Amino acid sequence: MTTIDSINDWFIQNFGAITTEQVKSWFIYNPDEKLLFNTGLFLGLFLVFYFVYAFLRKTFYLRLTYVILFSLFFYYKSSGIYFLLLLLSSVVDYGLSQIIFKATKDSTKKIYLVISVILNLGLLGYFKYMNFMIVTFNDMFHGNYQLHDIFLPVGISFYTFQSMSYIIEIYREEIKPTKNYIEYLFFVSFFPQLVAGPIVRAKDFLPQIYQKLNLSRQDVNNALFLIIGGLIKKTVISNYISVNFVDRVFDTPLSYTSFENLMASYGYAIQIYCDFSGYSDMAIGIALLLGFKLPVNFRTPYKSTSITDFWRRWHISLSTWLKDFLYISMGGNREGSFAGYLFPSLFFFGLLLWGITSYNTSIIPLIVASVSILLFCLSFLLSSKKKQTLVTNLNLFTTMLLGGLWHGAGAQFIVWGALHGLALAIHKIFVEIFPSKKDKSPNFLWRFFSIVITFHFVVFCWIFFRARDFETALQVINNIGQLTFEPELWKTIVIGYKNVFGLMLFGYVWHFLPETFTNGMKSVFDKTPILVKAIILGFVYWIVYATAVAGSQPFIYFQF
Amino acid sequence: MNTKSYFFQSFAIVALALIAFIGFKQILPDKIFSESKMNSKNVLIDSLLLEAVAKDSLGTNDSLDAIEDAEGKEEIVYENVEGIEFPSETFDNYKGYQYLISFYEKLYQLEKHPESNVRIAYYGDSMTDGDLIVQDVRTNYQERFGGNGVGFVPITSESAASRGSVKSTYSKNWKTQSYLNVKKPSSPFGVNGHVFFANDKANATWVQYEAGTNKFSTTLNNPTLFYGRASRSGKVNFIIGKDTLKKNLAPNNLINTLKVSSGHLKAFKANFVNADSIPIYGFNFDNGSGVHVDNFSQRGNSGLPISMFNANVMQGFNKSLKYDLIILHYGTNVLNYGTKNYNWYERGMTKTVNKIKESFPGVSILIVSTADKSTKYDLEMKTDSAVVPLMKAQKRYALDTESGFVNLYTLMGGDGSMVKWVDETPAKANKDYTHFNQRGAKAIGNLLYGQLNKGYEEYKILREKREAVANQQRAARKTKTDSTSVIKDSVNE
Repeated sequence: MTTIDSINDWFIQNFGAITTEQVKSWFIYNPDEKLLFNTGLFLGLFLVFYFVYAFLRKTFYLRLTYVILFSLFFYYKSSGIYFLLLLLSSVVDYGLSQIIFKATKDSTKKIYLVISVILNLGLLGYFKYMNFMIVTFNDMFHGNYQLHDIFLPVGISFYTFQSMSYIIEIYREEIKPTKNYIEYLFFVSFFPQLVAGPIVRAKDFLPQIYQKLNLSRQDVNNALFLIIGGLIKKTVISNYISVNFVDRVFDTPLSYTSFENLMASYGYAIQIYCDFSGYSDMAIGIALLLGFKLPVNFRTPYKSTSITDFWRRWHISLSTWLKDFLYISMGGNREGSFAGYLFPSLFFFGLLLWGITSYNTSIIPLIVASVSILLFCLSFLLSSKKKQTLVTNLNLFTTMLLGGLWHGAGAQFIVWGALHGLALAIHKIFVEIFPSKKDKSPNFLWRFFSIVITFHFVVFCWIFFRARDFETALQVINNIGQLTFEPELWKTIVIGYKNVFGLMLFGYVWHFLPETFTNGMKSVFDKTPILVKAIILGFVYWIVYATAVAGSQPFIYFQF
Repeated sequence: MNTKSYFFQSFAIVALALIAFIGFKQILPDKIFSESKMNSKNVLIDSLLLEAVAKDSLGTNDSLDAIEDAEGKEEIVYENVEGIEFPSETFDNYKGYQYLISFYEKLYQLEKHPESNVRIAYYGDSMTDGDLIVQDVRTNYQERFGGNGVGFVPITSESAASRGSVKSTYSKNWKTQSYLNVKKPSSPFGVNGHVFFANDKANATWVQYEAGTNKFSTTLNNPTLFYGRASRSGKVNFIIGKDTLKKNLAPNNLINTLKVSSGHLKAFKANFVNADSIPIYGFNFDNGSGVHVDNFSQRGNSGLPISMFNANVMQGFNKSLKYDLIILHYGTNVLNYGTKNYNWYERGMTKTVNKIKESFPGVSILIVSTADKSTKYDLEMKTDSAVVPLMKAQKRYALDTESGFVNLYTLMGGDGSMVKWVDETPAKANKDYTHFNQRGAKAIGNLLYGQLNKGYEEYKILREKREAVANQQRAARKTKTDSTSVIKDSVNE
């Protein structure tokens, strides 16, 4: 008896008493507590799930159904009743894909493809952009339409794109449809990448379903290494610096010094990278533990030597998706399309309008607008193949505009996309005029310079991405513009936020470590015995826990 | 290759890691990133607060709760003042409208005579930086009672850049002394707790104001410079558009004023020349009638430094500005000291309120309590355990000093409300779980005005009742005299 009691005591001491209320709360949707990979609840649920999964590894439909049920539960925990929306859209998409596959006439295929694209984008558009469109309309035409009370189902942008890739690939005859709905639903609802990517392509994923499930020793090592890195990036670096520093500065940039604004911008750059890539890494790691290989999503993007390079390293699954399905569909670098002309024209027209209307208060907007238009024009006028470059740049710019909008409904995301689109066009013409010599690699100084320039451009664009609205972004930029060299003041601020700046430094050093070093670390990790790996993972759990309970740093106002 | 072993092996690793975690949790400290105390030398916080905290024994009184419970139910009965007596209230719900009667009477007179004026000084900490909250109180009052202008604006301020109700820019060479960290200023502090000197001989020392876009402050109304006493005179050039007005500064009185222009300007610049020893205080912008609200915010202020004010100088300000209500909105900066015993703060703020009474004789005083603030306990953000004790201490000194009281903590929703204000979309407060954003500040300003106005409406009813009673009495007296005369008559007969 005493042993049971003491075990019970030990349990209560470490986990707290567990009531039926609590057990219920584990399984019921709570909008305030999403089931993220870095929560204790997920770890507990996953352990139970995984144990059973290991026994089912030799079955097929039983295993798929089991994973689907867990995925739907996982989605229910994040979005409540909207898991039905996921089910509904998957049924419709599956039906349409079957029709497209079986149709013999190209026109019929095309009609159903258009229907499916409209349905998918319509759904996404309603949930994500309805209120944005109403607000924009009201602002522009002094309308007075009521906003809709819309809940944005978690991950809708990700799974919509994923189902679209399936249908388009079937239309393009790149893949064959799944044998039945269960297999399709498994692909769409697979929980590791369901809510935040990577956006898995049907042609990469479907073949894996039919393979014999296998998990090699190396897979386990890779998975654990990714999960450990992801946990540290997301829960330690990203969460801590956002709550304790970056969010505050971006809330009221004018209440902080120029130096704090600058550091918050650098802070946000490492924060968003750690948040996003950390979560992706965890998703890839967890999928790997289940025996599925998802594509790499980030390859140390701030090491990029050009903006084109950046988009090959940042959120790769999205940029390739946009390239294959949006850019290519619009005509890519071959031909122009209506959308390719429409969106850039609308954007530049709006920009010019903004410049003209604010001319009375400041001439800067007009200068910004004129310079952007001039730069865009130069980007194809200077080219030797003007016509083709124009078409390419228009399609590219449209892709970036819509890609920006995909990240969120708001003018600042469009501006962010436009900046990147413009930069891509400028980089292309730059490379055309000053082609790099193929035979020798560029010297160190040039490389360093390119990385610094690219990084700062990306950070600049992130300001728009992070700011609550366009005005706040301008406040941050203005404030940074007034930066003066005051090392004493900087030192004071750095000491005041030493935890935050320490973590930022750690994040950047980790990011810029040479690949040979990280590979070395990985191979050391691979060689450690199981028990040591478990202890390392356990220690990382502890770090996550101890950071999560760390109180937020009280606000500080510096005197200067 | 045996696949079986690797699935179970990886399961074993994850499960073992959980056990390792429990082990680590027991041997390692609870938290990383301790909230270490800052070296206060470089942080904006008032020196009187630090001294008071250092002096305080921090001894907690265990029986405090029991006393407080009894105190909460205690009934507060008001003495009749000129025929007005607000209904009694409990300590828990204390609002103290009774102590705002003189302010309410001035508002009443203003409603009767729109050419008269009422003035409010709003002292606050970073919560009111950038004219947050105060501008909303001001707009509410001016909407109802009339009045134009942003009130008194100091020369420089850390939050000038974030203020939208009036834009001010200034040269970097102003020498500023603040009551926050200077005990013996070279000349007395002005009404906002600062004194500025233009003592750079090599470069121009200037300040420039431009009207903002708020509803009743789209122009700079009757801009008037306030400056203090000095042995040597100086000069100031006002640059308005393309014109330059050259004026002399005659620092003869404790407080001197100089009108830049009668009427409304959009913007102007003041260039100080040879004014090195003259204490400069700021500019006042008001149209002379209606309600005017001055924002005297100071980051890091606990409110204690007000007790260092020079009463004579303040009376000098009061002669021109004629304050009817002083609002003291503090607390944020005394929440982070790990103490829940605020006796020391109560004592200090009582001194502050007494100094206000001495400086602005007959003025009504309103204490605004701390708002809700959250701190992380375990994994959850909750109301900081110091908030309620501080709010109670603030209520106690409000009651003891016969000041009105606004309980911002309960007004914004009480326990856990800050978490809601931060998490809500659109958010109403910032991620530091302390400060409001523009939207939240507007809500707070409206709540504050709402409570003050409720008191005013009640006052009007009580006043009408008094009039009615007085009329009745007069009527009764009349009939009485009539009847005596009748009696007299009959006696005479």
